[in-house]
Amino acid sequence: MREVVTVQVGGFANYVGSHFWNFQDELLGLADDPGADPVFKTAALDMDVLYRSGETHQGVPTFCPRLVSVGPRGSLGSLSSSGNLGQSSAAADQINVVTWSGNVTRSVSKPHGRNLFLQSLVEEAQSPSTSNDGNNSLKNVEDKNLIECLENGVNFWTDYSKVQYHPQSLYELHGSWTDFDKFDNYGSAQQVVSEWSQIEEMNERLRFFVEECDHIQGIQFIVDDSGGFSSVAAQFLENIADDYTNTPVLLYCVRDPVTLGSSRNQRESITRSLHDAVSFSKLSSFCNLMVPIGPPSLSRSYMSPFLHIQDEKPFHSSAICAAAIHSVTVPFRLQRMGPSSDLAHSSGYLDIGELVHLLSDQGRQNMVTTLDVAMPAPSLTDRDAMGNIVMKLHSLTPEISDQDEDPYSVESLVVHGALDRGGQRTSISQVKDSICSAYEGRETKPKFSHLAVSLCPLPIPLPFPSIFRSNIGRHGEILSNHPEGAQPKGSLDIESIPMVTRLRSSSVILPFIERRSGSLQKHGVARGAIGSQVLRDWGFGREEVEDMGEHLAKLLLPFHPEMDLTSDSD
Amino acid sequence: MSLRVLNPNAEVLNKSAALHMNINAAKGLQDVLKTNLGPKGTIKMLVGGAGDIKLTKDGNTLLKEMQIQNPTAIMIARTAVAQDDTSGDGTTSTVLFIGELMKQAERCIDEGTHPRFLVDGFDVAKRATLEFLEKFKTPVIMGDEPDREILKMIARTTLRTKLYEGLADQLTDIVVNAVLCIRKPDEPIDLFMVEIMHMRHKFDVDTRLVEGLVLDHGSRHPDMKRRAENCYILTCNVSLEYEKSEINAGFFYSSADQREKMVSAERRQVDERVKRIIELKNKVCAGSDKNFVVINQKGIDPPSLDLLSRAGIIALRRAKRRNMERLVLACGGEAVNSVDDLTEDCLGWAGLVYEHVLGEEKYTFVENVKNPRSCTILIKGPNDHTIAQIKDAVRDGLRSVKNTVEDEAVVLGAGAFEVAAKKHLIDNVKKTVKGRAQLGVEAFAEALLVIPKTLAQNSGLDTQDVIVSLQNEHDRGLVVGLNHHSGEPIDPQMEGIFDNYSVKRQIINSGPIISSQLLLVDEVIRAGRNMRKPT
Ligand SMILES: Nc1ncnc2c1ncn2[C@@H]1O[C@H](COP(=O)(O)OP(=O)(O)OP(=O)(O)O)[C@@H](O)[C@H]1O
Ligand SMILES: [Mg+2]
Repeated sequence: MREVVTVQVGGFANYVGSHFWNFQDELLGLADDPGADPVFKTAALDMDVLYRSGETHQGVPTFCPRLVSVGPRGSLGSLSSSGNLGQSSAAADQINVVTWSGNVTRSVSKPHGRNLFLQSLVEEAQSPSTSNDGNNSLKNVEDKNLIECLENGVNFWTDYSKVQYHPQSLYELHGSWTDFDKFDNYGSAQQVVSEWSQIEEMNERLRFFVEECDHIQGIQFIVDDSGGFSSVAAQFLENIADDYTNTPVLLYCVRDPVTLGSSRNQRESITRSLHDAVSFSKLSSFCNLMVPIGPPSLSRSYMSPFLHIQDEKPFHSSAICAAAIHSVTVPFRLQRMGPSSDLAHSSGYLDIGELVHLLSDQGRQNMVTTLDVAMPAPSLTDRDAMGNIVMKLHSLTPEISDQDEDPYSVESLVVHGALDRGGQRTSISQVKDSICSAYEGRETKPKFSHLAVSLCPLPIPLPFPSIFRSNIGRHGEILSNHPEGAQPKGSLDIESIPMVTRLRSSSVILPFIERRSGSLQKHGVARGAIGSQVLRDWGFGREEVEDMGEHLAKLLLPFHPEMDLTSDSD
Repeated sequence: MSLRVLNPNAEVLNKSAALHMNINAAKGLQDVLKTNLGPKGTIKMLVGGAGDIKLTKDGNTLLKEMQIQNPTAIMIARTAVAQDDTSGDGTTSTVLFIGELMKQAERCIDEGTHPRFLVDGFDVAKRATLEFLEKFKTPVIMGDEPDREILKMIARTTLRTKLYEGLADQLTDIVVNAVLCIRKPDEPIDLFMVEIMHMRHKFDVDTRLVEGLVLDHGSRHPDMKRRAENCYILTCNVSLEYEKSEINAGFFYSSADQREKMVSAERRQVDERVKRIIELKNKVCAGSDKNFVVINQKGIDPPSLDLLSRAGIIALRRAKRRNMERLVLACGGEAVNSVDDLTEDCLGWAGLVYEHVLGEEKYTFVENVKNPRSCTILIKGPNDHTIAQIKDAVRDGLRSVKNTVEDEAVVLGAGAFEVAAKKHLIDNVKKTVKGRAQLGVEAFAEALLVIPKTLAQNSGLDTQDVIVSLQNEHDRGLVVGLNHHSGEPIDPQMEGIFDNYSVKRQIINSGPIISSQLLLVDEVIRAGRNMRKPT
């Protein structure tokens, strides 16, 4: 087993993370539940990769994510920063002050109300026995209410989290009276982190989790790069690169589709594009593989025949990102076997280092990859679908080219929980065969494709949003006859979903990089550029801006046709 | 700014309204912090919406916890927090002083004085007060053997404004000794070389100074010793874990066999490094009861731990970067970046190394070192908010000692300086100024009294009585401050109540700067706009 430590920085990253950990929590529960689909036990993913065992001060054993989450102060809602739900603040009067004999004044904020879902978690924790037996239909009605309450209003990522976090995990960033709502560009956060030694505290939290790892395989880092948290993350990543030189960092940049709204004026749009350029340049220079995620709209995407996503709800859009990221982590958690041997339940173990190496050191030597997903995965033995499984993958990476014939592309494909036409789980070898024949039929094949397969599908936990259309069946199969226009389905109707995801390093990412490189040149570097003042305000000197420009140019290098592609073969 | 919206056309009215808004913001902040000041101040318990508790008696922490939105108030808060960043103390006084300058100015402005005159007067008064401070301060000679008594007095004064007397006095020696431990003659004191470590402990509050280091992790091997005496300490930054070297990281192994070969080749390299360490251990420890401890900034994987453990070595991995420096200062030797540099001279020494386990938390004590230049203050407390508050107090205490050593001076406290400076301004300075700027000098002088007044008020005393009796004594040529029990004048020198010279200096300097900006409203509005733009 090789450990992964997860870091989440910024608002939307924590929304994504919350769903991600809910999936993991669900997997843990299903593996132990005799009533659950046995595949969750027989094809279980290795949870120790992402989780750590420990104990509380009272000696109670715990099993918590190896996670450092950084968010703005006040973003934890009713969850305390020590990870506990429901210390009552009303008890403040009873708390003694043992350090001072003089006067004490108590100022108690209005407690954050817990929504129905969180209330039910607290109740369950207090009387765990009633959860399974008892009145099933009553339970069903209650669950419906819980789901409805989440659909009607999620204000914090903690509102739908069912996970027990470690006391070291949740770090709230103090903003020196910064209005975090206006924390919308790279510059706004520059000083915040260094102030009051907050970065040291973040480093310490991370060190706590890394120190106890025997063989850390890498750090997966999710950042909300739409605003100031890019800069927080960049500074954190820089420290990580210094402290854990040989530990690979896999970076996901995620964005709430809503933050991509149109700019009001020219200045604002220049600031936006400079932000994108600067944060891309900075973030990419401190990680080993970068995966930009965040299409402008999920509701109008290729997924819309199956999924009903409301873009304005981060609760919805983050669920899709989380599902895709979950799939990406599947190979890190498979049983390790030699490359040729096969297991009944999985195949294609890959650790983060190998993934990074595979995607960024082979082929084009490009470290910015696209993330494509089919959710739910089409039935693989379906004669029609088979040929175009690759066509069924839709990219979550924005601003890419639709010209996807790149003979130098390298990819890592993950298929888990796939079903055949009859709704039965497809065996590992069936999956392999159908993928191979799918590629066989294609004109341009990728230079290299790694395939990881597991029987274990994506579980749908109770607090997952109701985003499935009526043509999706209980196990994520696509139904041919179904009622039209019915209500979207949620976790009560859908147990699990088969998934296919693909990380791909190819020339489709070229426009994404070019755009950032171009706007930095145009607005920041060129003589008399309008944006140069903006960059100065953000604290960048001329030289630093030029360095960023050069870094971006370097990222473009692998795509230049004149580049000698043979030099990368060793 | 919202005022514009309220009255977009009236430029003049607008200006005076903005001025009053500034004054109100300053007064508002003063009101919040007022009760904090001094040994009789109020401690504040802040309980957040999810039940998180924060305990603070300190202006700095309180300001940071507050959700301040008013741009003027933010400006003042920034000034006060900056005060703390540079000199570690005096945040509350800064806010009170600014608030009082604004209050005094308001009175004059309401009577028709133009803010410009006040600002001019402030400037004169500030310079005169700083000069006066030079004469007023009590020099402290810091030779090779610093005057411990004075350091203890200053530490005690500071600590007693944050913790009840018994607890404060327990910490006094600790912070003085900690600073003296890390002090190097003729070099600035680097307080980072004092590690502050905490442990949750059921009931009691207890703090001690460890001459040496406490690390917040332990060894990760079941068979390693948990306690050892007479230890060589190897401080290093060498990877002792198997990791793929960049070039060899072949993904496309043609066979499982080839992969195995690659892996074992890399394993050998790591083992080789471990062996070099073991060789050194055998060399220095042979035939004695001496032990060997490795503290590594990089990782150590289980096979390496296994080898080390079998050689009787205690090994810790992933030490804090800063602890590398501290270890060398505490134990001697030098930090090693490569096993090629290993020699006996690199090794440090500790009389005792042992592990302490509390639930899932482990601590390693490196103690009984020979000539420590780094040390650890270990705080035990029953819960996080108590620990955090003691930590804040310890930091304040350390800063006050460091300041004294570096200032080579202290200032009589308990309001003595403020009363004396006021008298000086009124008696000697005011008459040197022409015209209405005199009002500024007067306002400044009066504002200084906010410190003794607030100290009196927080002690439940009659403010006017106290001020009158203090001023009477000063008129008779006696430099006195107030006794916070009785309100009677006391000699701060006798009572050992001292403040830091650099702290006072900074308060007097920054207070009028910010107040002047706030009074000259045009600039304030611009400043307000700048505020929102990151710098
Ligand atoms: N025993 C005492 N009797 C009277 N006054 C005292 C005594 N001890 C300290 N003081 C006074 O209390 C003031 C310092 O109070 P305090 O430390 O609470 O505030 P501060 O230093 O301005 O701000 P902070 O410490 O919150 O950053 C000084 O003016 C000091 O002279
Ligand atoms: Mg103080």
